[in-house]
Amino acid sequence: MTRFATALAALALVGCGGSDSGQPQGDGGENAKRWPTQDTLVIASQADIGSLIPVKPRTATDSFIMANLAIETIDSDFDCSLKKREGLAKSWEWSDDGKKITIKLHEGVTWEDGEPVTADDIKFSYELAANPNVASPRLGYLEYLKPDANPRVIDDHTLEFEFTRAYDRDAQAAHVSLEAMPRHILGSADPGTLEGHPFATNPTFFGPWRLAKHIPNQSVILEPNWKYTGPEYRKPKLDRVVFKVIPEYSARIIALEKGDVDLVENLTIADVDRLRKEHPDDLDIKLRGYRAMDYVGWNGTKFAPFNDIKVRQALAHAVDRDRIMKKILTGEDGTLYAKPAVGTITPELCGVHNDDIVPLAYDPEKAKGLLAEAGWTDSDGDGWLDKDGQKFAFTMVTNQGNKRRGDTAVEIQADLKKIGIDMSLDTKESNTFFERVEHREYEAFLAGWSASLFIDPSTIWGTETLPDRPRPYNHTLYSNAEVDALISQGLNTPDPREAAPIWKDLQAKIYADQPYLFLWWLNIPVAIHKRFEGEKINVLSPYQDLHEWYVPADKVKYKR
Amino acid sequence: MSAEPQVGALLGILGFVAILLVFARIGGVSMTYAMKRIGMAVPLVFAVVTFIFILLELAPGDASTKFLNPDFPPEVRQMVIAKYGLDKPAITRYFIMMGNLAVLDFGRSISAERPVWDLVRTALPNTVMLSGVTLAVAYPLGIVLGIVQAVRQGKPTDTAISIASLTFFSMPSFWFAMMLQLFVAYYFSTWITGMIDAGTLPGFFSVFDFDVTGMNSNEIQMAMAVGDDVSWLEWAGDVGHHLLLPGVAMGVAGSASAARYMRSSLLEVIRQDYIRTARAKGLSERVVILKHAMRNALLPIITLMGLSIPFMFSGSVLVEQVFSWPGMGQLIVQSIFNQDTPTIVACFFVSTLLVVTGNLVADLSYAMVDPRIRYD
Repeated sequence: MTRFATALAALALVGCGGSDSGQPQGDGGENAKRWPTQDTLVIASQADIGSLIPVKPRTATDSFIMANLAIETIDSDFDCSLKKREGLAKSWEWSDDGKKITIKLHEGVTWEDGEPVTADDIKFSYELAANPNVASPRLGYLEYLKPDANPRVIDDHTLEFEFTRAYDRDAQAAHVSLEAMPRHILGSADPGTLEGHPFATNPTFFGPWRLAKHIPNQSVILEPNWKYTGPEYRKPKLDRVVFKVIPEYSARIIALEKGDVDLVENLTIADVDRLRKEHPDDLDIKLRGYRAMDYVGWNGTKFAPFNDIKVRQALAHAVDRDRIMKKILTGEDGTLYAKPAVGTITPELCGVHNDDIVPLAYDPEKAKGLLAEAGWTDSDGDGWLDKDGQKFAFTMVTNQGNKRRGDTAVEIQADLKKIGIDMSLDTKESNTFFERVEHREYEAFLAGWSASLFIDPSTIWGTETLPDRPRPYNHTLYSNAEVDALISQGLNTPDPREAAPIWKDLQAKIYADQPYLFLWWLNIPVAIHKRFEGEKINVLSPYQDLHEWYVPADKVKYKR
Repeated sequence: MSAEPQVGALLGILGFVAILLVFARIGGVSMTYAMKRIGMAVPLVFAVVTFIFILLELAPGDASTKFLNPDFPPEVRQMVIAKYGLDKPAITRYFIMMGNLAVLDFGRSISAERPVWDLVRTALPNTVMLSGVTLAVAYPLGIVLGIVQAVRQGKPTDTAISIASLTFFSMPSFWFAMMLQLFVAYYFSTWITGMIDAGTLPGFFSVFDFDVTGMNSNEIQMAMAVGDDVSWLEWAGDVGHHLLLPGVAMGVAGSASAARYMRSSLLEVIRQDYIRTARAKGLSERVVILKHAMRNALLPIITLMGLSIPFMFSGSVLVEQVFSWPGMGQLIVQSIFNQDTPTIVACFFVSTLLVVTGNLVADLSYAMVDPRIRYD
């Protein structure tokens, strides 16, 4: 609503004398040197920021925003795998056994308040993350760090981390890269209520952007950190980035079409089709990559026939996945927003994903044959398969409010009916659903995984034969000693190139066992206004490296 | 825990009570009666809070459920459970909570780790503003329409307003809100700005260019962010402009029902003898309707207003969600998603108080308008 506000502003100028926006103002600092920037990016955000405390992010958006306010010690980008690059660290060195890393930080980097960023600030983050009173979601970073998960500070700009074992080096590098936190500001804060500290919504960082203003439940406004002292190439080119809180999906779309916002994530395919048609000149559709997958879990502990591998293979042959993808995951122009899944490792990890696995093809006759081999035939001629007087009937449950899963469930039901399997459908409210899936209370369930970019199949596929803690996410109690052995071997191979063949082998073994009906990986569409260039929307973040985004002079929309 | 939020809550409630008592005084209602009515709020709040707590206990999962995710080590969930005592038996947690509420300590939000009072304090004024303005506009408007209908009974104006009000009354407010967004904030506003750009309409028509969501325009927020002075007038004008569509979405049903009630109540009154007397005296129709008939006809409307305050509050939950209005409705929705019991309980605590107050104000106004009614 540009114009009405401008009119108001003109009115108000008479009253207050106005202000010259060309001058540095407020706490931007009178002495700070500014560089040329132009235009504003307005991002529609489903929720307000929860907390911008590095050891206590509450939502994915918190982490995405934080990545621009602070710089990770060893920073990541993504291209087939996590690519490590300099961040707050200028350089780093691994010991020969891969159990020790020595990190040298950039010198002269300061917090917004002028204090230097030191190795001790990083140590501070690790102290907090280890504190049980903090209950940090980043606790996983510390699992293999010693002693007491604390880095050793050698001098102001050098520190050393030691690991109890060497594992995937990308993961190790990420685990030592928890963002630094200012001990001089937060040192006296109560660790038990960190998220409630004013820092959580009004933080002080050292990255290329700073949080200029947080209006609760309305918006978060970033502007360039004019006192930024890190590497030159990270200096922002935009005036501002605004996160506008719009909880309702349909309202986000209308705001996008109207031009109130420039970027909306997680579009439905129907909306993508419409936006492509109605806004060909001002909106672009980008795809974030394959980060989320859907699958059906066959829980043999609840419904015994699923324990038979022939039955599981038959079910895979019985479901026409290509047809379902064409029906619910394809745009009008034929663009497919999904890719068949053969495991829980995302195809984005190109060197590791096993492209040689051929998905089991749709073949109802073969499915019937396999089921007959397993003893399931229609002996009483009622149209449904049975064995020893038991009808092949079970219930598949999915979570409410997810249209894609609801539609998918109906399609699967129809396909199974064709070969004589009676599958009933049920939906449950999400919290109930996930809790019951965890307790393995459903015979079959349609759910999904969001892929980790670090490879650790133990969380989903590992069993009790693996040392370490219990695995609460092995929802179907999958158990294969060979797979366990491969998981151990892979997790203990630090060099990603050496680990790749192990992971490929693992994917093939798991796929052969068909513990799930693997459906597809979803490619999530993001709409963005066409005036932006240099934008990076990838599997890591829908707004990666905001400092590279810019708008050419002739297309600027928001003038200062 | 600092006592500051408690002091804030206490002052708020005392302020409330004081206003009510002043109101009662003006209305000539006995103080004992007013105090008795205010005192009745206590058991009511107690019952509501207990009921909400039981409902939340019956729902599966708790605030730690969101850590049930392979992205987090399982220990995190255990830490959260330990930190907030979620493993204690429900009855223990209930008594702890009630003990705290008794001294007006709403506790800390589990998901935000901030005093719940802080969250309520930020959200409540926005909801009060939205519902207050809506009530203040919707009811007078409904009353006027009702009068027009009654005066023109059976004529096309009456029929047209009847049809319109029944239509609006039967529309679900969230659906109507979405339609307003699409047709007014998008199609209509885009059309208007197109005309202004083409020079067909003068610039001041930009008041018809509505934002789809929020309480402030991007421009005002950005100006605030870089420390530019935003005058009070500018801010209020912007908020008022943003208030219009959610206000209409929430108020239309209220207007419609007020119009219906006003129409029938006025029709009943103008058939009475004293109105005939007034007319026979040769008073003008305007004086007859507005002065003699109105006073009696307004009585049911006052009851209706008191009763509609809870609807304003529940309606705001959906409308705030659709229009991204940062008020109590959004806070309730978020805390329910986060299963943040302390915040949910506090929200209902506050809304119960508001409802009690609304009803009380309605009763007292009744006594003020109709001298025959005495509360002792």
